[in-house]
Amino acid sequence: MARTFHLEIIATDRIFFSGETEHLVVTAIDGLLGIMAGHEPLVTSLPTGELKYLVDGVWKYAAISEGFIQVMPDSSIILADTCELPEEIDIKRAQEARERAEERLRQKQSIKEYYETQAALNRAMNRLKISQKHFK
Amino acid sequence: MPNIREIRERIGSIQQILKITNAMYLMSSSKLKKARASLECTEPYFYKLQSTIESVLEHTPHTRQLYFDRRADIPEDKRKKGYIVITGDKGLCGSYNHNIMKYTDQKLDEAVDLDNCYLFVMGQVGRMYYQRRINSGKKASVDGEFLYTTQNPTLYRAREIAELVLDKFEKHELDEVYLIYTDMVSSNVQEPRTLRLLPFERKHFGKAADGTMKKLPKASFMPSPEEVMNYLIPQYAKGIIYGAMVEAFCCEQQSRMTAMDAATTSAKDMIKDLSLRYNRARQAAITQEITEVCGGAQSVEE
Repeated sequence: MARTFHLEIIATDRIFFSGETEHLVVTAIDGLLGIMAGHEPLVTSLPTGELKYLVDGVWKYAAISEGFIQVMPDSSIILADTCELPEEIDIKRAQEARERAEERLRQKQSIKEYYETQAALNRAMNRLKISQKHFK
Repeated sequence: MPNIREIRERIGSIQQILKITNAMYLMSSSKLKKARASLECTEPYFYKLQSTIESVLEHTPHTRQLYFDRRADIPEDKRKKGYIVITGDKGLCGSYNHNIMKYTDQKLDEAVDLDNCYLFVMGQVGRMYYQRRINSGKKASVDGEFLYTTQNPTLYRAREIAELVLDKFEKHELDEVYLIYTDMVSSNVQEPRTLRLLPFERKHFGKAADGTMKKLPKASFMPSPEEVMNYLIPQYAKGIIYGAMVEAFCCEQQSRMTAMDAATTSAKDMIKDLSLRYNRARQAAITQEITEVCGGAQSVEE
């Protein structure tokens, strides 16, 4: 049994996960980041992306949208807007959101609106990608 | 002796109002259940966010980051202060709206110059109140395009609001931003509260409810503290605004339920009281009629 550390993933609408894990891989702003027990203290923010963690030898996957992570040698906390398991993702809703965002991108928008739409599109694409990859 | 018909009409009208208050009671209690559930789900996030940010900030090296800029060179009477105030959309909820507005008024009174106060009011009741105040000469400008409802808080709305204030802060249209909302201390105790959103300061973070404070010896930031803060602070602002919206919505439903329950009870009391008086008046009228009939019969016999 590998060394474990305590991981807490808290989304705005629930406590997504709280327990021991051996290995955590997150997408940070500058690329993938693997965390194991005894990692040096670290703070970084997480864009919309994928997340996986190893519990009892099984990888668990989740879709996460915007948050940040605080790593300490014996525990980690992830605070995120939303966090979903692949099977929880509402594919239809994500597809609709993607279409809506794509539609808006074709219109002329201010820079601020453009970024907002892009972020929305990102979230939708991420959800679709993760649900297709891990849940068939 | 009041007129019998008058009493009857009064009872009728009270019964109508009773129906309304009772319906509102039922509705707000079911809404409260929903709001409670979402509050319970959001509270861990809300408190954890505050405690985590606090511990992160303790180990953040001094940065020239924009959101930490206290703008100390601007004198107190020139500072532009923004207040995000969360009120209800409707009245009929006891002292909920009154309390939060009184609290905001106090905050505004403390401010040196009202001309430099900008209000961002969520909820119809508060917006109306402050717009009326402008017309009566007491100045504190209300952003007229800041139209957000407080019903069913969503993350999307919180994100928009956070972006708006951060944007204004960046453009130096605001130098300080406060968030005023009603905090649910326990199910019966509610308290208006202020949170300072911007600029960031280490001491203003409250302790978490569970008291967990983990010391973090010299954390590293990837890729750099400034870069991380650029993402983290909007994230924090959004989270805090969302949490406050959920708290306030729950408080509103709670106080509406209490108020409507009290109204229903007192309507029932009034009906009880009035029907007693109605029966007495009816009895008196009957007695009088009998006396009159008897008196008439007697006089005929004689």
